[in-house]
Amino acid sequence: MIDRRLRLAGVVLAVLGIGVATYLTVVHYAGLEAVCNIAHGCHKVQSSKYAELAGVPVAVLGLAGYAGILGALVVDGEVGRLAAAVMALAGFGFSMYLTYRELATIDAICQWCVLSAILMTLLAVVTVWRLLVVAPRELVAT
Amino acid sequence: MSQQTSSTKRERRDAARAERLERERAAVAAAQRKRRLTMLAGALAAAAVIVVVAVLVSSGGGGGKKTAAGGGAVVGAAATQQLLAGIPQQGLTLGNAGAPVTIVEFVDPQCPYCRDYSVNELPTVIQQQVRTGKAKLELRMLHFIGPDSTTAARALTAAGMQNKLFNAAEVLYHNQGEENSGYVTDAYLRRILGAVPGLDVNRAMQDASSTTVTEELGTAQTAQSRYGVGGTPTILVGPTGGTLKADGEQTPTAVGIAKLVDAAAAQKA
Repeated sequence: MIDRRLRLAGVVLAVLGIGVATYLTVVHYAGLEAVCNIAHGCHKVQSSKYAELAGVPVAVLGLAGYAGILGALVVDGEVGRLAAAVMALAGFGFSMYLTYRELATIDAICQWCVLSAILMTLLAVVTVWRLLVVAPRELVAT
Repeated sequence: MSQQTSSTKRERRDAARAERLERERAAVAAAQRKRRLTMLAGALAAAAVIVVVAVLVSSGGGGGKKTAAGGGAVVGAAATQQLLAGIPQQGLTLGNAGAPVTIVEFVDPQCPYCRDYSVNELPTVIQQQVRTGKAKLELRMLHFIGPDSTTAARALTAAGMQNKLFNAAEVLYHNQGEENSGYVTDAYLRRILGAVPGLDVNRAMQDASSTTVTEELGTAQTAQSRYGVGGTPTILVGPTGGTLKADGEQTPTAVGIAKLVDAAAAQKA
């Protein structure tokens, strides 16, 4: 029961993340300016060198990450739970690094990046919780 | 008596069985706990490796060529000199003032994409469009990334007062440092400007804090708003004196700009 609820919560968060990352990817490739009416730092953040990783836009990496987590959430069993947790924890760690760069180096905040960081944090919580709560199948007492 | 003995025996057997089941349950629970913690440790370790690699790549750790920003030698000065030799410069403009087409570039001295464009694409644009007299090039200096941008933009604009803006900007891009790391110091600027032949460095450093430079940067910002420039580098191309059109490419290329110049020239004709 709890596994089903956690999995559902994870799927909802991953789908929201895919939405945010898709928007940022479209903005990046279409050369548009992201709607940025809260912090007004999106342009500055997206113009910085931290907007790309080895030539790949961070938005695209985010999209791939959320899609990977969604895929792992759909897979039953230990492998799926483990893969989802690894990807969500890695996404969480990298989001924290990018948030640090926004605050300490770029000196600007992009609201979409913050939203993505929140979603990734929640995904990390949900997937780790799932990993800890759901009993490994082969060890369940009969 | 015998019935009592038999009942006690059964009770003892049941108690032993319950105890054994309890022990088994505890053993399974302990194994599960251990397995879960092992999985969590594995997940954390794998994620940590991924994050460390990503952070190292993102912060450009290791290996690159040391430039003036990192305390190394000023690079790109000779190539810049060769690229711009013989092309007239007047303030913010490079090329023949009477060229039929105008290319306007909006850049920030700290923007890494501007650096990539300036080092990889601009030389071709200058050779094919400006040197041939097909177009003139105007540089509008923005400074939104941070204080280092402002300091650098002021110094570059001051170099423009000696008609050396493009030399100074190109050398600076070759020696660009880490964003907002405080690398744009007086000493750094003196080394960059000092690599531009014919530029009076002391005068440029003095002019950098002048009201003329402040007004010039203000004009660039006004033009930015007027043309709705949302990022850097942004390239606008149009017939001289006519309407400018934005280069729609994600990253400006010499090929894309050449197409716009041809279209603007045809419009002019």
